Amino acid sequence: MSQDNQGLDFSTVIASTVHDLKNSLSVLIQTHNQWLARLPAELQGGTEQGIMEHEFSHLNGMLVQLLGLYKLGVNQLPVCPDYHELDDFIEAQLAAQQEVLLHRDILATWRIDTASPLGFFDRELVASVVGNVLTNATRYAGHALLISIEEEGEQLVISVNDDGTGYPQRMLERQHDYVQGIDAQSGSTGLGLYFAARIAALHERNGVRGRIEIANGGALGGGLFRLYLP
Amino acid sequence: MLQYGQKSFLIVDDFTDFRTSTRSMLRELGVRDVDTADSGEQALRMCGQKRYDFVLQDFHLGDGKKNGQQVLEDLLLDKLISHECVFIMVTAESSQAIVLSAIEHEPDAYLTKPFNRVGLAQRLEKLVQRKTLLKPILQALDRGQPAQVLVACAELCKQDPRFAPLCLRYRADALRDLNRFDELEKFLKGILASRPQPWVYAALGNLMLKRGQHAQAQGVFEQALKAFPIMPSLYDGMAEALIAQGESKRAQHMLEEAVRLSPLAVRRQAALGKLALENADFDSASKAFRHAVSQGQSSRYKSAESNLGLAQALMNKNVGNGLDARTRVEINTVLSEVAKEHVEDQGLQVRARLMKAASLQQAGDAETAAKLTEQAMQRLEKMDQFFSVEAALTVAKQLQQLGQDAAGSSILKGCVETYGDDPKVMQSVAKLTDDPTVLGAVTEAVDLNRQGVRSYQGGQLSEALGMFRKALALQPKNISIALNTAQALLRIGGEVTPPALLQECRNCLTSVGGIPKSDSRYERYRKLHLRVFGA
Repeated sequence: MSQDNQGLDFSTVIASTVHDLKNSLSVLIQTHNQWLARLPAELQGGTEQGIMEHEFSHLNGMLVQLLGLYKLGVNQLPVCPDYHELDDFIEAQLAAQQEVLLHRDILATWRIDTASPLGFFDRELVASVVGNVLTNATRYAGHALLISIEEEGEQLVISVNDDGTGYPQRMLERQHDYVQGIDAQSGSTGLGLYFAARIAALHERNGVRGRIEIANGGALGGGLFRLYLP
Repeated sequence: MLQYGQKSFLIVDDFTDFRTSTRSMLRELGVRDVDTADSGEQALRMCGQKRYDFVLQDFHLGDGKKNGQQVLEDLLLDKLISHECVFIMVTAESSQAIVLSAIEHEPDAYLTKPFNRVGLAQRLEKLVQRKTLLKPILQALDRGQPAQVLVACAELCKQDPRFAPLCLRYRADALRDLNRFDELEKFLKGILASRPQPWVYAALGNLMLKRGQHAQAQGVFEQALKAFPIMPSLYDGMAEALIAQGESKRAQHMLEEAVRLSPLAVRRQAALGKLALENADFDSASKAFRHAVSQGQSSRYKSAESNLGLAQALMNKNVGNGLDARTRVEINTVLSEVAKEHVEDQGLQVRARLMKAASLQQAGDAETAAKLTEQAMQRLEKMDQFFSVEAALTVAKQLQQLGQDAAGSSILKGCVETYGDDPKVMQSVAKLTDDPTVLGAVTEAVDLNRQGVRSYQGGQLSEALGMFRKALALQPKNISIALNTAQALLRIGGEVTPPALLQECRNCLTSVGGIPKSDSRYERYRKLHLRVFGA
């Protein structure tokens, strides 16, 4: 078989390297937290602390996304949808960001307005999208974040809204290009949108595929990210 | 916040740092009883001694060790944890764990590293809530009462219909365990029409396979793979449907695809090896069996068949070319392992020795080969268990090649007597011999058995019994005929079977007591045995 002759199977390389990187990052984060707990109160918190927490989750999100994009590219990203309790899902996403929110002094709230307490989607994949959007939103938010889940027709809509200055106009206009992966120079946000759109589209029901949308406004007036799941 | 003071936790991770930091998070949550293990093997021992309420299991525990999925399977199959136990799979990267997981044993939740105390507390609290909601179902599962599971599901759905989707899987499994297949089919098709999931396809496909509807099963798995192309277990089902229809080349291709997605699966590698061997693809066969042997070291699915298969594949691969030193060493190693680990199993002892003899003959050492053959034949004479069809055919062929035609014929005769009612077996035997005393031995008995079955189905029980008795007198070690006779006797005997009939029934079963566990009729044999001999 041809794969045997290539020496290195890149799929294994990237998977095991990301795995090691994430383990290393996890140890770093947990040790950092333990060390922080030993510091006197006046040295805890502060801007540097917020930056570090933010970059930790940014790094982690990028690693997840890197592996996800790679697996998408070689058609090896599994999709395994199931029923999940929506409040549990949102609480878990916010809990993961708890330190960042605390140190950046951001108040995060959530609201669920659906008939069923359960949603049907791939928890890990949607969590990686929402996690990245949250990391991004905490960076641009003033002091408030709102996650909401509602229904639009047959679709479940997960929105993340902040009270920052919102997405640049140019980005809103070109969102379809990002989603299609056309604009390669859009940097990390563009890549994030592309990843989110691909994950959304992996969710399909009766020929309808999931999608994403960005806008400005919403209840908090800043950036508004929406994920539609059929 | 929940009270964890009375709850017991087990953390399984090979990283000391992780165990320490997770333990300190749990302590901050008020947990007092925390144990840790650095390997799956240790975790299993600990769960054997103590009932844990929570298990936090790291997925990757190092190469050559059991992974988290294997630990979960062992815990559930050996009933070392209750269904009420919260089992969390901790991973650095969950997509891989999901692909590697078996569809029938899923953890309660995945928790992705890195996680913080708040995140851990949130997950634990939610999972406890869910387990509390499902408690009556989980308790019925622990007691092994599928009918009660259905009752508990119905109650929960009535109480709070919004949570009905959480019961789907439990209901399907219970219907399957109760053999309520028509209901199950309708139920699964209903789920597929609204919210398809991999497990639903797998359950429906397996149901079709069980009923012998192979083409329909294939259709289900085809549809499943279109929707979920990255779920290895669906390829397994597809392969099984194809094998049943004689499409072994396509089946091999399916398993190769599954192995590419998820190479860590002992049973899949062994199945692939067997298929490739049948398809005369000896390279793939030796590769797959080699994986099965090495992964088997840490698995409950370790099987001597993979060792024997590897030796066979390596020999076939080199037919006409002798055997190089490296191959000889490999064959030696895997066969010695069989002999060493199955001291009590006469069949395996014979097969390992003959395989070794055949390899020595191929390598040019006829003298030692003859010596080993001699040893194997001595053991063969004392053997009272039956070979499986495949084993018998291999042994007969090897005996022929080693110049022991008479012994080979006698193995084939035994095989025909035991399994000769299956035309496929007769075809395979015919490839190895044209001796009419071997091939013609069963015709009459098989005819009588067939007539007996017809009468039995028509309700003419005593006529049927007469046929079965005559057939059995001709071929006393035929598994089908013996089981049919026993069943007819019990049916005629009614509630309280008269002692004479019971004794006859016992004799029938004793004469086929050598039935291999791998035989598809073993379960039927076991049940009859339980009825006439008691537990």
